[in-house]
Amino acid sequence: MYVSLEWLKQFTSIPKGIKPEELASTLTLKTAEVEGFSEGSELLDGVVVGQVKELHPHPNADKLRIAMVSIGSSQPNAKVVCGGDNLEEGMLIAYAEPGCKVKWHGEGEPVVLEKVKIRGEESAGMICASEEIGLEKPKSEGPESILDLSAMKPKPGTPIAELLKLDDTVFEFDNKSLTHRPDLWGHYGIAREVSAIYKTPFKQLNPKPKLPTKGDKLKVDIHSYDLCPRYCGVVIKNITIQDSPEWIKKRLKAVGHQTYNNIVDVTNYISSELGQPLHAFDRNLIKKGIVVRTATKGEKIKAIDEKTYKLTEEMLLIADHENPIAIAGVMGGHESGINPDTTEIIIESANFNGANVRRTATTLGLRTESVQRFEKQLDPELAHLAMLRAIELILEVSPGATVAGPITDNHAPKKKPRTIELDPARTASKIGIQIDKAQIKEILTGLQFKVTPGTKNTLKVEVPSFRAQKDVSTEDDLIEEVARIYGYDKIEPVLPSLPTKLPEENPERTVKHDLRKFLSYGLNFNEIQSYSFYSKDDLENCSLDEETHVKIENYLSEDQTHMRTTLVPNLLKTIHSNTKNHPEFKLYEIGRTYKDIGEFFPLEEKWVCGAIHNTDKNKFYQAKGAAEAILRYLKIPFYKLIPSCEIPYAHPNESITIMAPTGETLGMIFTLHPQTAKNFSLQSNPTLFELNFSALINLAKKGRSFKDLPKFPGTLLDISVLVDKTIEIGTLKNAIEKADKSLIKSVELFDLYEGDNIAADKKSVAFKITLQAEDRTLKDEDMKRIQEQIFSNLQKLGGKIRGL
Amino acid sequence: MENLDKLKKEALQLIEKAKSLPSLKELEVKFLGRKGQLTTLLRDLKNLPENKRKRAGQDLNILKTELENTFSKKEKTLEKTDMEANLSKEFFDTTYPGAERQTGAIHILSQTQKEVEDIFSQMGFMIVDGPEIESEYYNFEGLNIPADHPARDMQDTFFIEGKPDRKQGRLVLRTHTSPNQVRAMEKYGAPLRMIVPGRVFRNEATDARHEHTFHQVEGMLIDKEISIATLKGIMKEFLSRLFGKEVEVRFRPGYFPFVEPGMELDFSCLLCNGKGCRVCKKTGWVEFMGAGMTHEHVLRAGGVDPKKYQGWAFGFGLERLVMMRYGINDIRYFQGGDLRFINQFK
Repeated sequence: MYVSLEWLKQFTSIPKGIKPEELASTLTLKTAEVEGFSEGSELLDGVVVGQVKELHPHPNADKLRIAMVSIGSSQPNAKVVCGGDNLEEGMLIAYAEPGCKVKWHGEGEPVVLEKVKIRGEESAGMICASEEIGLEKPKSEGPESILDLSAMKPKPGTPIAELLKLDDTVFEFDNKSLTHRPDLWGHYGIAREVSAIYKTPFKQLNPKPKLPTKGDKLKVDIHSYDLCPRYCGVVIKNITIQDSPEWIKKRLKAVGHQTYNNIVDVTNYISSELGQPLHAFDRNLIKKGIVVRTATKGEKIKAIDEKTYKLTEEMLLIADHENPIAIAGVMGGHESGINPDTTEIIIESANFNGANVRRTATTLGLRTESVQRFEKQLDPELAHLAMLRAIELILEVSPGATVAGPITDNHAPKKKPRTIELDPARTASKIGIQIDKAQIKEILTGLQFKVTPGTKNTLKVEVPSFRAQKDVSTEDDLIEEVARIYGYDKIEPVLPSLPTKLPEENPERTVKHDLRKFLSYGLNFNEIQSYSFYSKDDLENCSLDEETHVKIENYLSEDQTHMRTTLVPNLLKTIHSNTKNHPEFKLYEIGRTYKDIGEFFPLEEKWVCGAIHNTDKNKFYQAKGAAEAILRYLKIPFYKLIPSCEIPYAHPNESITIMAPTGETLGMIFTLHPQTAKNFSLQSNPTLFELNFSALINLAKKGRSFKDLPKFPGTLLDISVLVDKTIEIGTLKNAIEKADKSLIKSVELFDLYEGDNIAADKKSVAFKITLQAEDRTLKDEDMKRIQEQIFSNLQKLGGKIRGL
Repeated sequence: MENLDKLKKEALQLIEKAKSLPSLKELEVKFLGRKGQLTTLLRDLKNLPENKRKRAGQDLNILKTELENTFSKKEKTLEKTDMEANLSKEFFDTTYPGAERQTGAIHILSQTQKEVEDIFSQMGFMIVDGPEIESEYYNFEGLNIPADHPARDMQDTFFIEGKPDRKQGRLVLRTHTSPNQVRAMEKYGAPLRMIVPGRVFRNEATDARHEHTFHQVEGMLIDKEISIATLKGIMKEFLSRLFGKEVEVRFRPGYFPFVEPGMELDFSCLLCNGKGCRVCKKTGWVEFMGAGMTHEHVLRAGGVDPKKYQGWAFGFGLERLVMMRYGINDIRYFQGGDLRFINQFK
């Protein structure tokens, strides 16, 4: 919202010496955010109308001339060297004296003019081209020409800003910061704040147009006071539709409004002045009186934007006795609006239910300035004030106009003003600073609250109607008024004195942060984050079932429609996008999945998903090793690795399910299914692991224990065996361990060979076996016995012991 | 026993002069070897008369020990000289590159979130989590944002397909972390000191400054004498610790339906220390977060009696903080997964 300083000054004064930036910053700190302000132009400061009294050639330059400029006196005041090719004696020009800021050739940062010598001739100040003082260069002004003001016949010495009506300062408020303040949507309300802040008098508007007591009184029929608490209407005759006077145009333009004609401009003027939107109808296009009702089923209206809107039964309408003539509080109708032939008008100044206006506007997709104001729930009292002000202005801008009859003012029964008890002790406790009662009273009174002594030590505060809608209703609301006007900046930061208490632990968080360190710094994975949703294509590319997916109704784009049930699809996309910059890498994400489990709230679980992208033929085992390392790090004491898994995007053979003793799936380790890899345009199949972090965290072993170091030496045994390729390492390992469960402490695979020198269907496998007893040194017999048992177990599997 | 003195003198002189370990070894054989001079003397003791034998034996043994010690000392000296001489001949290239040990990176948002959590933990705040798919009740109504409230405009909401629940309303992707104010009060009651860092969603088009997915940190302190002044105190403490330098904070009026009074908090520009520069648009201040005294409706929604307890809440965006801190110019990098971005924050 734009606010003009000049307009504000109509309602209050601003103490001398307060510059626009200070006013903007004070309002930002005490009322609402001022995003910025524009002064007519900094470049117009000190620039005045000058007259070229004499013009002489420059002795040392062809293109330059010497002008003797006067800014009021009959004698020239300044000698200026100038290159303007349109310069003539007697011309009225824009003269900037030394000290003014100008932009050379309209470019770059402004520079301060100084007295200089140009090609040996003294020059004081400058005769300016439009762009040099921040004005748009008119087409009539040539590239080497200066601004010629002769046609306007100004008096030399007149400030250019004044001449061009660019002397106003306009503040821009952030609309969002006015959301809760229906009273601030016009100059009147902002002026009220300024007066409270600076303790300057507020000039109340008190329009008193002459109104007939009898005559043509508008008939208004309100069906629901809930939806329309007040409707003021009046008929004005003998209207002449014409241009508005300059002062109205200037103010409207300053705050960003277009101007149309005197009547429409007045309605916009009042909206900007008081924050009360008005509407003007052509009386002769209205059948009988006004009916304020909801739309009937299927009813349509063509609005002034010339679009036809289909209405629903909840939407409030302004109608005559035949047709709808406006969507209440949103937009007027096309058929009944002001037109060049209008001679008789109805002015509407009404109050509508904010929520209803907002719903209608949202449904119809119409966000007008009127909606912006009405949806905040305006003060019904404002409707009447605005009506009087409108009549006053219309009589001024349309000479000869006459009010046809008394104002019709239908409204719901008036409510008693709200009063709130304010406890100064509570105010101090909430703000954290002592503000004495007298000062509280002064602040609230300045904001036009009525303050009287309350019971005990409290104050009884009566809320003015313009703050009483949705804005101020509780003691805390008053505390806010006191705090902000007193000044948040005067509140010193204090640390609360609270008992020392360890916060409740959140082990999931702690472990998650630790796990990141382990994955990134220990296992060399890079953490990425990705969106919580993916597309239908993505889930199909992963062969996922749509069924358990939570779907977004109003998604932003087709590739973000389903909430993820696994982190894999987005991780695959991330792999794909990184392959062009990196030949190999390891990634992980810790994030949530969302599943529809038939209850109201979907199931949210946290998963750790890692992926290895490289050309190593062992990358499945790298993934497996990483997953096992994580399980170890998370202190998961018991789990089983079951071959194959049920996820559709996993390779049918190269996959493992990690299972808890209860049978619950804790995670999966797999090579990506070649089809899925193809679907995601991946050149090679990455290997991945998915771990259910939410489930794992509950299984973590608490505490640790120490086992004494062995007292007796162990013995190492190397065994190499030739077996069929299809026999799994796990089977061989089991066969070895079975040989003596108490003395075999560990079995480590240290070599696996397939290829030259052995049969094509065989492989050579070598294990390092540690034997150790806890109570004695092992004897040769022990070793011999175990070794033979191992040989025999392996031979049962068809193994041939090498070197035997 | 003049011979003995002569022998000693000779031996010590020779040891002193020895230049290498082999020549020292030779000397050792000469004096202490099996056929060495001293050994021979010791062996000949038995030929001495008994009255002299004891005395001579003692003298010989003292000399033997002395010589042995001297040899050993000299040996160490010569060994050291040898080693130094050898080392001085060796060549070693320390400029050869160190063996590559790659490490991965933790996402900068995770790192910053942890920093924030650590600072608040130290001030006694617990770290709380809540659902990302939230009900309209917790996301809006419980926070004093009824349907049709203009404030819902500020929060473009993603809705989930499905039927509404009578009490909970519809499901939405939470538009802020604030629903956990009510959830935490329901669960833990008052007094309460907590922060909720987490992912939030807004249905708005993305560009360099806007993301539909980002992170917030919610904070809440409910107790007896909790005021605007203490909010200022805690935030000043937090920001000063986070940035490692003294930071000033200021409040401006701001509107959030779940607080009253409602405020915006700015902190002094880190670049210019409040003097005004390009980063802070010449204001000296950087917009940081929304905050305020918790609205009594919200306290009641959480089952806390506003007559007994009062407090405040705040919420700030993690991405904005990180962008400001490291000069990141595009918010889309965070969820983009580009390793060239990720790896810069090892």
